[in-house]
Amino acid sequence: MTDHPFFELESPYRGWYRLHRLSFGSGGPVTTLVAGIHGNECNGTYALNLLAGRLRLQPPRGTVHLVPCVNLFGAEEGRKRWPFDDRDINEVFPGDADGSPVERVAEAVMRASEGQLCVDLQTGSAVVHEVPHVRAPLTGPVLALGQAAGLPVLWRRPAEQFDDGLLGAWRAAGRTALVLRGGRGGSLDVDDAKTMARALVRLLAQAGHLHAPEPAPPTIVTEKMLDYRCEVGGFFVPEVRPGEPVVVGQVLGTLRAAIGGETIESFHATAAGVVLAVRVYPVVHGRELVVRVAQSTT
Amino acid sequence: MPHSLEVLIEIELPTGDVVGVHRRRFAGGVGPHVVLVAGIRGDTPEGTRVLHAVGRHLESVADRLTGTVDLYPCLNPLAAHQGARNWPGLDVDLNRRFPGRHDGHAPDRVAARFMAEVEGADQVIELRGAHPAFRLAPHARVGKDQLVAVERASTANVRALWTSSASPGAGSLEEAIPGLIGLLGGVGNRLTDGVGLELADGLLNLLAVMGVIPEEDLPFHWAAVQRPAVVDDEHVVDLRSMRGGLFIPAVGAWAEVDAGDVVGEVIEPISGEVREELRAPAAGRVLALREEPVIYPGNLVCRLVLA
Repeated sequence: MTDHPFFELESPYRGWYRLHRLSFGSGGPVTTLVAGIHGNECNGTYALNLLAGRLRLQPPRGTVHLVPCVNLFGAEEGRKRWPFDDRDINEVFPGDADGSPVERVAEAVMRASEGQLCVDLQTGSAVVHEVPHVRAPLTGPVLALGQAAGLPVLWRRPAEQFDDGLLGAWRAAGRTALVLRGGRGGSLDVDDAKTMARALVRLLAQAGHLHAPEPAPPTIVTEKMLDYRCEVGGFFVPEVRPGEPVVVGQVLGTLRAAIGGETIESFHATAAGVVLAVRVYPVVHGRELVVRVAQSTT
Repeated sequence: MPHSLEVLIEIELPTGDVVGVHRRRFAGGVGPHVVLVAGIRGDTPEGTRVLHAVGRHLESVADRLTGTVDLYPCLNPLAAHQGARNWPGLDVDLNRRFPGRHDGHAPDRVAARFMAEVEGADQVIELRGAHPAFRLAPHARVGKDQLVAVERASTANVRALWTSSASPGAGSLEEAIPGLIGLLGGVGNRLTDGVGLELADGLLNLLAVMGVIPEEDLPFHWAAVQRPAVVDDEHVVDLRSMRGGLFIPAVGAWAEVDAGDVVGEVIEPISGEVREELRAPAAGRVLALREEPVIYPGNLVCRLVLA
């Protein structure tokens, strides 16, 4: 393994920013996995570090590049954006080598992303916990690859949903680009990170890097998401957890008055499926998402 | 009713509080309908001050208005309450949510309601203020192909009028309303001497030019209105630092510079060693200057309009 500081940026008052890329193996095929574009999304970072441990023991065929944490400065402060100017690195891809700091970082991530297959690891927002899942276009090779990951849910979405950010830049560059998401921003969800790491092993096996893929549990492949949003603001108390199967009529949670606790609204599943996301920070504003269910299609 | 204060939309907070987004309407005839909006981001109080200065004058001439002027002093009151750029709690940039959604969260609903209200208006003008990191000379920014808006903006008493071909940010008001006039100036999260008055006078003059208020009711003579330097993207040059450190400006906003003049230097913050001198590539004026001194390589430190 080599730890190559792929890009450096001079920082006032402190050491240089360094974009680390860990490289395993040599030759082709080549795959790149990236995490931590948002500094507070630690599950992807931990999943890649778990994968690094596996790759040290079982060197891959071809080359696997891991970029475990792009936004190191944000990670130090538990912040999603680049702390200095509060800019979102994911909004400036493909970046600019002569541009602002985040644009330079984004450009470096693009240069570090070698190979046909590129995978971005993301986490839910800081207030929502998501079950590990894959998001893939409705058709095409990425969809088949997404199924190979063997995560609990594969969310099929229109291709234009993948046109922005790092994923969009990879796609525009002709790469096979995939996103894995799971857990919650601002925390480490160990089980979710392990689940994502196992999914990455399966993906690398599918891409020809590793032998003996682990058997995958069943995956719900669906484009039907049921979003439950509160009509007004209040204090949301969930009754389900991410990844939990639900049946029609099951209570998903209740919205209560922030002061006094009276029930304002109850949420019941309108279809069977698996809970994809749950609001975990309880104070919610009107029309915010409180539960998302991946609807079973069979 | 020549002058009214209305609640555009009420935002219910989780804890039971309610915050209103307000509109002040000055109506006086069947003439043009002009919309002035400020505070889309919560760290731009200059625009709110400008609209209240305009509102005070409109109150004094309310019986002689020949059109309708809507003032939205602050579209993002929760962020303004904190001096924050984004909508608090949700951490959403309201200027990335236009045209909004009536069934969305609060910022989406505010954006959608505003868009519904301004439909059919003859001109929408956004008081954009400035980012807290920069000091801006008062200037207008308009899409280059929006010829009517360009002509109107040239009467807004600004130092420069930037007609830009660049694509507006996704979800910005500029994208939702292509003929938008953006007025910028001052420093984010502050009121800047002179800037507010210049922009307020400019808006009143623009309203007079559009026939909403009589020219004789202007609190100044029209001849005192500045004619801007009109520049396109090719005549606006960004200077970015190559090194990190503290940026020490050598000039002020709207200062005149010659080719080769030093506009500032980057120093090492502990030793004071000069790491870089930034020089004007050609003669012109300083449109924007870095106000927050701590910089990284690649940060914008100075924007020039070339002569």
